[in-house]
Amino acid sequence: MTIDDGSLTGPEADHALAAEFALGLLEGDELQIARDRMAVDAVFAAEVRMWQERLAELALALTPVMAPARARHAVRERLGHSVAPLSVDPADRVPVWRGSAGWLTGLAVAAALAVAVFSPALRSPQDRDGQQTETAGYRARLVSDDNALRVDAQISGREMQVTLQAGAAAQGRDLEIWWIDPDLAAPVSLGLLPAAGGMRMSLPGELEPGADIRIALSDEPAGGSPTGQATGPIVAIAPFTSL
Amino acid sequence: MIARIAAGDRAAFGALYDATSAKLHAVCLSILKDRPEAEETLQEVYLRVWQGAARYAVNGLSPMTWLITIARNRAIDRLRARGSRPIAVVNSRDPLAPDLAETLPSAEPGPEAAAIASQQRRMLADCLAQLSDPQAGAVRAVYLEGWSYADLAAREGMPINTVRSWLRRSLLRLKDCVDQ
Repeated sequence: MTIDDGSLTGPEADHALAAEFALGLLEGDELQIARDRMAVDAVFAAEVRMWQERLAELALALTPVMAPARARHAVRERLGHSVAPLSVDPADRVPVWRGSAGWLTGLAVAAALAVAVFSPALRSPQDRDGQQTETAGYRARLVSDDNALRVDAQISGREMQVTLQAGAAAQGRDLEIWWIDPDLAAPVSLGLLPAAGGMRMSLPGELEPGADIRIALSDEPAGGSPTGQATGPIVAIAPFTSL
Repeated sequence: MIARIAAGDRAAFGALYDATSAKLHAVCLSILKDRPEAEETLQEVYLRVWQGAARYAVNGLSPMTWLITIARNRAIDRLRARGSRPIAVVNSRDPLAPDLAETLPSAEPGPEAAAIASQQRRMLADCLAQLSDPQAGAVRAVYLEGWSYADLAAREGMPINTVRSWLRRSLLRLKDCVDQ
């Protein structure tokens, strides 16, 4: 690629080159020359950094999109951190079992779910009482079209209880729970509905309860959506209402 | 925090992931417009962060800019390797998929972005606003969607060299503006 703007003076051409390098527009020899120059030309390097800082503001203005929990686990596994958890972040409680269930089958799924469904209930209900008293509660009642499936979701503070009242997933399928926030770019998976009874979870930090939130259940392959977004039909959806 | 990560602190790394992954995922998605690819790229970004944290101190960038730059570079590498750009972006099998516009960069900063908006941010936005719409749109498309000069030329129906000259002028105007 040749430069067809001979009218640019030397300094201007340098300024433009720094911007193009920061934007990733350079290719081939020009890219290599700019890279080399970063190492030896402090003025050029500083100008590239200035562009990177300025332009990063555009990225910061993007709506955040939560990645599926399995991405976090995959990073941990690829770094060989899978024995010691990356952190003890409370948000981890929700994703852990969903991520681990994704690659298990048959009885292993049932076992993993049993552990996952019940362990958050043992660990989390009491540890945020302070917030619970300050924050309003919300409830959503999910009912399928044929009335066969009924699920209640109730939020108190940052704890959510999901209870299966009636119905079940189809044979060999799972029902996945989705949090739909108009301010988030995509629905966020909250994991799989237990085959019986209820589950309790701490909401991840990014999720803010409110009356504009809806919750949905989608019909998914055993173990949950393989893509991190709903792949099957929505069998029930409901808004949260303030208690 | 990055110094702790460079020292092998996994808890710090986990905290960094939790604090920044949704933003970096948005960057990857904005460029790649494909969920599985964005997710895979996001993983690569954090592998690089873990491995490159020790070198961070010498690169002179603010922490978030460093992370965004890594995410953007990885996503663009993948985009260029792919060769072609998918036009239809929304997965039609996803009944919950939001309108694409929601995942694309908006000219208006969100509330969160507005809250942390610096003087610099306002200046960049102001300066972009002083460019013509096509010029500002081209800068955004290149930065946020990873467009190349060839993409711009195809979109504008102009030769690559003409597009390049036009964009370089825009960038110089932008620089003059933010330098004031």
